[in-house]
Amino acid sequence: MTFRKTLLGGRRTIRSSRILQIGLVLAFWLAGEALARGTGLPVPGGILGLALVLTLLASGRLSHLSLRRGANWFLAEMLLFFIPAVLAVLDHREFLGLLGVKVLAVILVGTVLVMSVTALVVEFSIRLCGGLKVDSHELE
Amino acid sequence: MNWNSVIVQAVFWSAATILFYLAGKRLHRRRPGWWTSPLMATPLLLIGLALALHETYGAYIRQTHWLVALLGPATVAFAVPIWEQRALIRRHWPVLTAGMLAGSGTAMASAWGLARLLGLSGTLQLSLLPRSISTPFAMTVSGEIGGVPDLTAVFVIVTGICGAALGEAILKILPLRSAMARGALFGMGAHGAGVAKAHGIGSEEGAIAGLVMVLVGLVNVLAAPLLARLL
Repeated sequence: MTFRKTLLGGRRTIRSSRILQIGLVLAFWLAGEALARGTGLPVPGGILGLALVLTLLASGRLSHLSLRRGANWFLAEMLLFFIPAVLAVLDHREFLGLLGVKVLAVILVGTVLVMSVTALVVEFSIRLCGGLKVDSHELE
Repeated sequence: MNWNSVIVQAVFWSAATILFYLAGKRLHRRRPGWWTSPLMATPLLLIGLALALHETYGAYIRQTHWLVALLGPATVAFAVPIWEQRALIRRHWPVLTAGMLAGSGTAMASAWGLARLLGLSGTLQLSLLPRSISTPFAMTVSGEIGGVPDLTAVFVIVTGICGAALGEAILKILPLRSAMARGALFGMGAHGAGVAKAHGIGSEEGAIAGLVMVLVGLVNVLAAPLLARLL
């Protein structure tokens, strides 16, 4: 009985605490890293951690409420985590000249192509799969 | 206190990075615009500081690498939006799959083709390939296929800034009737920045964009070992 009470109390604490949830996300990441090293799979630890969390969520052993606030914090602040890598341009002064313009051109033209092709393929697949039934209203 | 001690350096550069990031976010809330976006302002401020203090990238990243390592748990965190959108995935997976395959294929083919056309080096071509997917995934793919992950992070940011702006212009030209197509456009073309933009257009567009961004990153990472063998 007391054990059950502690368990329920613990669950309530973790559902309301962002810090604990951040710790839980970190724990799943470390488990994923350990799993990647242990099994020698060619998949990054973060992905294995993600798969582990999805499996637990699907099996009902873990509620997304125990993870939600922590996970959303990581996603909201993700920009901070890759800003340091952006300073790599310090070692690549060559991008300040013609090379930089070329790279920018590749990105600009490529992005227009990616966006147009993706949007058109999705649009026509919807029309193909029964047309206007899957209209914007259905998702609302 | 010894300025050159490892701990002082690590604390200084980590604090500077975090402070500039928080300041950038604040500035962006007050005066929204692409030039105040933390995507743009924070790296520029940090580059200015590093140049003023004659810091090299190698020395800087040694002190701040722990921040980049947090992209690992950020990858795990993507499990939550995938779980919460499972109904949407179950209902629309054929359309989403078609869009993601077409988008990923176009992203890689266009990066490779255009980079070759302009005579960019092999390493640069490979670093440009995964630029359309979200950073933690993009850096993983880049390393796996023989690119430079740090350069890929730069290209991902540039793609995000350009894509968020270009997307709106493309929406005006293309005759898109479904919210799914509009959302997929932003999620596939401009990852995080695009998702934010899509949320501004509509909640369905935002949800689809976020979902497409996550799934496409995942699919690309899983396909990377195969891709590495082909390239």
